[in-house]
Amino acid sequence: VTGGRSKERLVTGGDSGEREVVGQRAVRVLLVAAALTVLGAVDSLTHTASAAPRIPLPFAGDPYPSTYHPLLRADTLIVGATVLDGAGKRIDDGDVLMRDGKIVAVGHGLKATGGVTTIDAHGRWVTPGIIDVHSHDGVYSIPSTSDDSDSSDVAETSDPNAADTWIEHAVNAQDPAFSAALRSGVTTLQILPGSTPLFSGRSVIVKPVPAADVYSMKFPGAGRGLKMACGENPKSFFGEKGRAPNSRQGEIALVRAAFLKAQAYLQGWRDYESGARATPPDRDLKLDTLAGVLTGDIAVHMHCYRASDLTTMLDVAAEFGFHIRAFHHAGEAYKVVDQLKKAGTCVAVWSDWWGFKMELVDAIRENAAIVDAAGGCVMMHSDSATVGQRLTIEAAKAAAAGRRAGLNLPPEHIIRWVTSTPAKALGLDDRIGTLAPGRNADVVVWSGDPFSIYTKADQVFIDGALVFDRLKPSRTPGPDLLLGRPEAPTEVGP
Amino acid sequence: MTGRRLVSLFAAVVLAWLCAAANAQTIAIVHAKAWTMTAPTPLENATVVIKEGKIASVAAGDPPPGGTRVIDAKGRAVTPGLIHPATHLGLLEVSSATDTVDSGTKASSLGADFDVQYALNFNSALIELARADGLTRAVSYPTHSGVPPFAGMGALVRLTEPGEILESAGVGVFVSIGNHRGEADASRAAQWELLRHALDAAKTASAPAGTSAGGAVGTSAGSAGRSPQVLALEPVLAGKVPLAISTNRESDIRQAIRLTRDYSLRVVIIGAAEAWRAADALAAAKVAVIVDPQANLPANFDELGTRLDNAALLRKAGVTVATAVLSGIHQSYNAGESLREGAGLAVANGLSYSDALRSITVVPAEIWGIAERCGTIAPGKDGDLVVWDGDPLEPSSAPLAVLVAGKEISLVTRQTRLRDRYLPKAGLAPAARREP
Repeated sequence: VTGGRSKERLVTGGDSGEREVVGQRAVRVLLVAAALTVLGAVDSLTHTASAAPRIPLPFAGDPYPSTYHPLLRADTLIVGATVLDGAGKRIDDGDVLMRDGKIVAVGHGLKATGGVTTIDAHGRWVTPGIIDVHSHDGVYSIPSTSDDSDSSDVAETSDPNAADTWIEHAVNAQDPAFSAALRSGVTTLQILPGSTPLFSGRSVIVKPVPAADVYSMKFPGAGRGLKMACGENPKSFFGEKGRAPNSRQGEIALVRAAFLKAQAYLQGWRDYESGARATPPDRDLKLDTLAGVLTGDIAVHMHCYRASDLTTMLDVAAEFGFHIRAFHHAGEAYKVVDQLKKAGTCVAVWSDWWGFKMELVDAIRENAAIVDAAGGCVMMHSDSATVGQRLTIEAAKAAAAGRRAGLNLPPEHIIRWVTSTPAKALGLDDRIGTLAPGRNADVVVWSGDPFSIYTKADQVFIDGALVFDRLKPSRTPGPDLLLGRPEAPTEVGP
Repeated sequence: MTGRRLVSLFAAVVLAWLCAAANAQTIAIVHAKAWTMTAPTPLENATVVIKEGKIASVAAGDPPPGGTRVIDAKGRAVTPGLIHPATHLGLLEVSSATDTVDSGTKASSLGADFDVQYALNFNSALIELARADGLTRAVSYPTHSGVPPFAGMGALVRLTEPGEILESAGVGVFVSIGNHRGEADASRAAQWELLRHALDAAKTASAPAGTSAGGAVGTSAGSAGRSPQVLALEPVLAGKVPLAISTNRESDIRQAIRLTRDYSLRVVIIGAAEAWRAADALAAAKVAVIVDPQANLPANFDELGTRLDNAALLRKAGVTVATAVLSGIHQSYNAGESLREGAGLAVANGLSYSDALRSITVVPAEIWGIAERCGTIAPGKDGDLVVWDGDPLEPSSAPLAVLVAGKEISLVTRQTRLRDRYLPKAGLAPAARREP
């Protein structure tokens, strides 16, 4: 039984055989729901109550819901910009209209009606908000001190299986990295745990708005993710401690064993769902996560570099019937593009990081361009609060290497690497990543070509709210950490 | 004539010694937008003639001399070869694999005298990439030694192809002071005191016989018996080479300035995240800085004041500023590319374009005392030049041609070989060779 098929059955349900047990199931739904309410999983209760055939599996809810509210917003018309819509189109002298937090129209000669603020963007560029699919902002302590363990809060490293950890429980909303990301045009980030454990933990998707807690930043209704890791990091960390895994094959063995258990756990819930067993399985937070992977409810984001690690993990995923949404880092993706395409797995890469570990010795600057030109799915990522402030420069460098190799990579195409493609990898492409009507009004007005090192984000909109304005930087509060510290004598403008 | 020929022959022999495969070919770069670094604006339509490894002439509109190999820059930017002021090139290969790393030593008694020249690996894959990215010289320095706060002595390397890259050893003594959490004697007070005591001891031991009454603890009198540490510190005390201090907090930067005055040293500060708060004092003390234009997030409490316009604020105050990306992997793994990206970012944050270009060419040359032979495009200077396919400070640009000692070096690297091996496998045409 593969997870994909099971999900299909759970979601669509409703054949006559299942209807017979609806009444019986409804009782169970209430029982489980009651248990979940205790855990705070109100979301799943409301969803499932109206769609009776769906059993509220314990991993399907979100006990830590978003409390994000868009900031005060005005309807806004941006006129005269070079617009890259994130879907592959470039519109010169283009206009973008935002109303009620959504994109309304993109084109030429759009007119502002009453109460619409107009921004003259002649000579400037407009793109969708930048999306960083791999960030450790909020968990890689800044500043780092001896109060933090070696791994900061980036990962729980006491066990190679940290599938029960949720990175949102560690995110410091006041990390200066969020403010720096926002000021550079980032409007959505996926915060991932670090790659020391094989199952590194759950991810969280946030908007870098000024906030006191992570739930005020959490992207409402976003799907869930699990970070996994393969290759050198888990085996070297645990191996050095005399623990498993200490080899690549040991890593795969542990991953397979964990998914075998998860299959049994999921079967237990299904048997309970069908009435074949009277009591639900004991909740297990690790297995909750892995069962969610098997049903397709939780997207897998996997840290892997070497070509053979990538294809091995694709095989493991096929064996257990789950899908790897994206490989992150994937320095050798260019060697196995066909396999990645066949699996429908994206890669999230740097432009030029290489060499600092054995599995990255063969990374090349043309990696992204080759995967893209061969028809694969590729995006840029940061993995670093510094790189995360210049993801368009990552795209620029990767594309430049590709152009020198003879590949055609115009700006309207490569903007996708930092907008619509990561949106797809996060399962949010129906909401963000492009400037299509109906999408969230996450928009950046750049001082010039976003792929130039001299360019800055002038205005950053999230859900139609002007969250950062470079001309009025003090409107956006900086991180609490820097409050009351000595200030610069003067601002130096470019 | 015979005399001149002998001189040429001698020059050629010296050159061959310097860069192994050098030849005395004359090369002319024509139609260059030449950033000579001797003026704030470029010389348009310039012809740069390189003879026997040196720049022979640079002038607008000159026809190239007959019989020379001509590189047509087609109006593109030409700069001096880039000079990295502070890297670990040649001292590491795969940094996570410690057995491939030679940049530091802990289990030894070596301190200021830890000399990285003996470890330089000219066949490192990092070096060919840096060279293909337009880097022609660098100061490669140690990270730590067995006697903190000393890291040891740095070496000047010239990225000739192929073979020996060491140009001169002991170009500076490096120390690292500040937030060393988790280490014994972590107090920075102790770090400064240990440094001062070592300088005092070296001063005493080096003093002419008769003046060092009583001698200094731990050193033996007389030049023959001077310890390696004393020998390492002598050129620093004599002001012949800089004391390079890696430090970030304002209080430490001001301590470095005090040290400069107390011992009449030449000091250069690496990192210097909060240097903008002491900009005027640094300018007055003629202390140069090597700053990271990407640094704007405080990795630790020493860097709370870190900000993107550090370089601009320091220049405005008249401080000598070199720039280099110093954090993360780029300092060594992308030593050429990141040098330009950092300088470009400094421009985005207020540094003038010419100051930014200077901060990765002539200023590092000045800091390390080699400006008489490199860092500018002027007659008599080394024939280390780069022809760029675009704005050299845009990260998306790359060299079309790199000359080291008047010889055009190969732009083929392990990375381009991997690219060309796998492009066809991905169903794509092999890359065309880059031509100016």
